[in-house]
Amino acid sequence: MINSVRNTVLAVANKQNFGYISPSDFNLYAKQAQLEIFEEYFYRYAQWLAKQNSRLSGSDYANIAQNLEETIDTFSKVSPLTFVSGDDFLFPPDGYYINTLRYNGKEADRVSNGKILSLLSSNLTTPTLAYPAYTLNQQDVTVYPAATGATRSIVAQYIRYPLDPKWTYISLVQGEPIFNQSAVDYQDFELPLSDEPEIVSKILKYVGISLRETELYTSSAADDVEEQQKKG
Amino acid sequence: MAYLTGYQYYENEGNTPEELNWGSYQYLSLADVVNNFMLMYVGNDKLVNNVHRYNVLFHAKRAIQELNYDALKEIKVLEMSICDDLKLVLPPDYVSWVRMSLFKDGSLMPLTENIQTNYAKSYLQDNDCKILFDESGNVLIGTSLLDYDRITGQARDMYLGDGSMKGQTGYNVDGNWFFDYTVEARFGLNTETANVNPTFRIDKKSGVINFSSEMADQIIVLEYVTDGMEDGDNDEIEVHKMFEEFIYAYIKYVILTNKVNVQEYVVARAKKEKTALLRNARIRMSNIHPGRLLMNMRGRNKWIK
Repeated sequence: MINSVRNTVLAVANKQNFGYISPSDFNLYAKQAQLEIFEEYFYRYAQWLAKQNSRLSGSDYANIAQNLEETIDTFSKVSPLTFVSGDDFLFPPDGYYINTLRYNGKEADRVSNGKILSLLSSNLTTPTLAYPAYTLNQQDVTVYPAATGATRSIVAQYIRYPLDPKWTYISLVQGEPIFNQSAVDYQDFELPLSDEPEIVSKILKYVGISLRETELYTSSAADDVEEQQKKG
Repeated sequence: MAYLTGYQYYENEGNTPEELNWGSYQYLSLADVVNNFMLMYVGNDKLVNNVHRYNVLFHAKRAIQELNYDALKEIKVLEMSICDDLKLVLPPDYVSWVRMSLFKDGSLMPLTENIQTNYAKSYLQDNDCKILFDESGNVLIGTSLLDYDRITGQARDMYLGDGSMKGQTGYNVDGNWFFDYTVEARFGLNTETANVNPTFRIDKKSGVINFSSEMADQIIVLEYVTDGMEDGDNDEIEVHKMFEEFIYAYIKYVILTNKVNVQEYVVARAKKEKTALLRNARIRMSNIHPGRLLMNMRGRNKWIK
């Protein structure tokens, strides 16, 4: 998809003689556009759930929330967490959102730092191996109850960030880089094909800002808004 | 929890204790309650959403505690010997008593709770009635006369008591005994205190039951209710299946009633559902069998006089 996106972007930009976009610039814009759309999935998902609860959504193909859930689930990853010290484990470096955390196979409850002391003090709710809990601190996940390191297995099911897209090329032929899909560091967009128009719009928006072309920025920004409205 | 095979149920697969699973099918574990609720009642398209599991766990335990106090009829029975101090320390999981009996000569004799105070804390005082303190400024405490008299059997009792004089203190004048009131059968007996068995009084704050002196070296059988928390062992906490639906309704209700912006009619509906289910469960638990009714009704033709 990345080559198709780049070709479309170049075609739009060049047609208007707005200027040339280098591969490295394109890769930066592509990464930014992908992250922006990735982040929007969660907000859209929440909006569609609200619509669903207002009976503004249907089932099967009209079940947009489920569609978005499936898209988000393509970024789902299950991985054991690395032990740091004490009761702390390393938050996955590529982690965006921890969905479930399993402590020795039991689902741990995410507890805010403001509540954890009260939770630990309560006879009825204090975390046990049957009902474990965890808090998040900077780069660490702290699990409760404390247990010896050897007996602990902490596995997270989380949503990771998408990998940075990279349009790779071989060499310049008459000033033009040729797309090389087999390069080691090649990375396509991880978003579904249906998001291609939105990616193009967003990249064109960044190109417009970069080239200080108001017209390009305005038209692509309008396209972007239209795309978003269409998707809810 | 998965269904058990016959071998698992009857013999615990050859492990000890063999009786571990006997009767277990009547009960639902706390883990099942919490898991089922989180699965079926919490979600983006449900009335209850954005709720932490610890909230559900807390309310599930509270529901089980409340049920244990009255509706469940899960009565624990403890048999203990009473020593010379006439004191029984309450069991660690004690919440409230149901019945106290003296086990003697092969039969259980129900005891009456004494309406008179039979224990007291006693501050030590000097001759000028000034309270005595230790070097840290704390009041010195001794054995109260009330306790002493009770333990030594000298306390006068408003209950009838045992023996020829019904336990009453009298006056011997010239070889004849005189009492403040008639000892034998009498007109106008105070039925509230017409009891010959020993009495007891519970000192909740101190965690002990104080008995009258006749209980020394006797066997007591205490029937009591607990809160079902099984000394904090979550794996052991369970509730009778007849209350399963009520527990879900209770958790749903308390969560909804504590959430902001939940319409009052939704809360009212949840409350009604909870109350109705509790009523249903209580009727089921009352276990009215035609056979038992028949036995009770047999007395209808008995000649009274």
